[in-house]
Amino acid sequence: MKRRDFVKKTALTAAGSIAFPYILPSGRLFARTTSELADHVVYILFAGGVRQQEAVLQQYLAGSQGVDIEGNIMYNMLNGAAPDRKIVYGTTPANEPTGSLPIPKLLGQTLESQGLLFPEVEAVNGGHYGGLTSLLTGTRATAQGLKVRPVYPTIFEYLRRHRGFKASDIWFVGSGIGNSFPLLNSSDHPEYGTQFGANFVAPSITFGAEGFETISNAKVYHPQEELEPMAKMREFLNNAFRIKNGEVKGIRNEEDEKENIKKFIREIFAKQSSGGIASPPVSGGGDLRTLGYAAEVMKYFKPKLTVVNLTNVDGCHSNFSGYLRALHRADHGVGWLWKYIQEEIPEMAGKTIMMSTPECGRNLNPNPIQDENDWYAFDHSGDYNTSRVFTQMVGPNVPANLRVGSESSRVGMTTDNVLTIAEIFGVKDAVSAAGFVDGASRSLFDRI
Amino acid sequence: MRTLGRYTWMLVTLIAITLTACEHDVSVHYDVNDVDIEDKSLIKDRSKTNKQFISILYTTLHQKAISSKQLIRTERVIESFGDKALINEVIVSNYMNNGEVILPTNEEMREDIDKFITETYKKFFVRIPTEIEKAFFINYLEANPNVTPEHVYTAFASCDEFQFY
Repeated sequence: MKRRDFVKKTALTAAGSIAFPYILPSGRLFARTTSELADHVVYILFAGGVRQQEAVLQQYLAGSQGVDIEGNIMYNMLNGAAPDRKIVYGTTPANEPTGSLPIPKLLGQTLESQGLLFPEVEAVNGGHYGGLTSLLTGTRATAQGLKVRPVYPTIFEYLRRHRGFKASDIWFVGSGIGNSFPLLNSSDHPEYGTQFGANFVAPSITFGAEGFETISNAKVYHPQEELEPMAKMREFLNNAFRIKNGEVKGIRNEEDEKENIKKFIREIFAKQSSGGIASPPVSGGGDLRTLGYAAEVMKYFKPKLTVVNLTNVDGCHSNFSGYLRALHRADHGVGWLWKYIQEEIPEMAGKTIMMSTPECGRNLNPNPIQDENDWYAFDHSGDYNTSRVFTQMVGPNVPANLRVGSESSRVGMTTDNVLTIAEIFGVKDAVSAAGFVDGASRSLFDRI
Repeated sequence: MRTLGRYTWMLVTLIAITLTACEHDVSVHYDVNDVDIEDKSLIKDRSKTNKQFISILYTTLHQKAISSKQLIRTERVIESFGDKALINEVIVSNYMNNGEVILPTNEEMREDIDKFITETYKKFFVRIPTEIEKAFFINYLEANPNVTPEHVYTAFASCDEFQFY
């Protein structure tokens, strides 16, 4: 080859490899539109219906029960002093009133001072399933039925299809299997769907008593002498079986991913028997256990995206004191998770952005139910207060100690989070171009 | 004398009826191949529910019905995990480890592989195998002496067809 031809062809090849889109394992084309802002995202669906009054506004009892005591019970996430009287949200020392000992602060610096807070965000849907669907699909979910998968693609599918992540790169850790939560790991959209869905696990079941009975004693097969022949026979059987569309629906991990996940399951049961499951210092309550298992998922898989769903504060429908305790614990758990990532998972430390947003707020006015302190409970039935939530972000490329928006000037929507995560992974334009995300939504980075 | 005549007459009549009524069987042969009445290619396009899958799996492996309590608890475990195929495999291997699964012995399987494969297809897929399917397994099992009935059952229990009806 002549030198001139060689130089020409080399230059063309180099230019082509830069300019042409990547080809995914699925065979689809995509182009990363911007550089990535972080290697990992942890997305907390925070807590199951939180009133702004007890969260960002730090009104404690003043904003709900007509008792003039204010203060911040989320002091790992938010700046502000804790209430100094009538403490009911902490732990209960022996012979002391219920909840009278506040949980010690875990973080030297609050997440608010480390990161970015949108204190007044519009929750576009006032129900749990609709609200969670909005947080995961970036749509208003007005046409979303219960007990069916989301109508529009989720952030899981966007990232797997447009960014090419494997199934085991994307995890959705749920608090349980009620309220159709397991269906949120993918939509039924024909262009996306379960083939691009996330791995879902509800640790309270999978690793609870039922899981222990059902899967903890699984046989460990020899990789070459046993697993390989079984996989070979199964492959033949699957190839011989033809159903409509030629595929079985469902989240599918590749064979190597499957064996890795099975190993993870075995390790979790082994850790359980030795008492070694990661856990916040105060570990009571379902949300804190869920966060502990989420930390185990992160430590093992180092997922690109981990979504964790917390739900305990929804007890506010009938028990306001319990709600305060759950909110305080959710803050404790989120603060612990951030600390755990920085200290226990070196592969994710300093490379992870964490986001937290409640799926909806709660009503301004109470319902008639009173708890042990004679305090009134609150539902979320769709008043303006139900549409008031916050979003917090912390991590690399996120401005520190910045508030955007205020009570009088709302900035942001819950549907923004999908585009925000897409931007973190460099596929915002591809997600926007798909045309399903709510038209008024923007990446939160664009709202600063 | 009169009675004797009557009996004679009846005997003659009986012989006459017998001789005229009987004919040789005519053997008819149509030029058509023999056909198995069992279906080899049932159309299965409906996914089993988790409950159906567990009940059928348990009964197939244990030769007895699962208790309602165990059924519900197992169903919840399946719902708690996203990759159903994966969790089903783990459940099958858990059953294989509990010592209650009724399996043919390795000797029984290898004594008549053809029969073993046919029975396994009937047990898991409610159909008989095609010649291609049978040939694959006969060749595969003959070529791989370390493969046991447990491995075969696990492959059948965790394949796509077993999830459909």
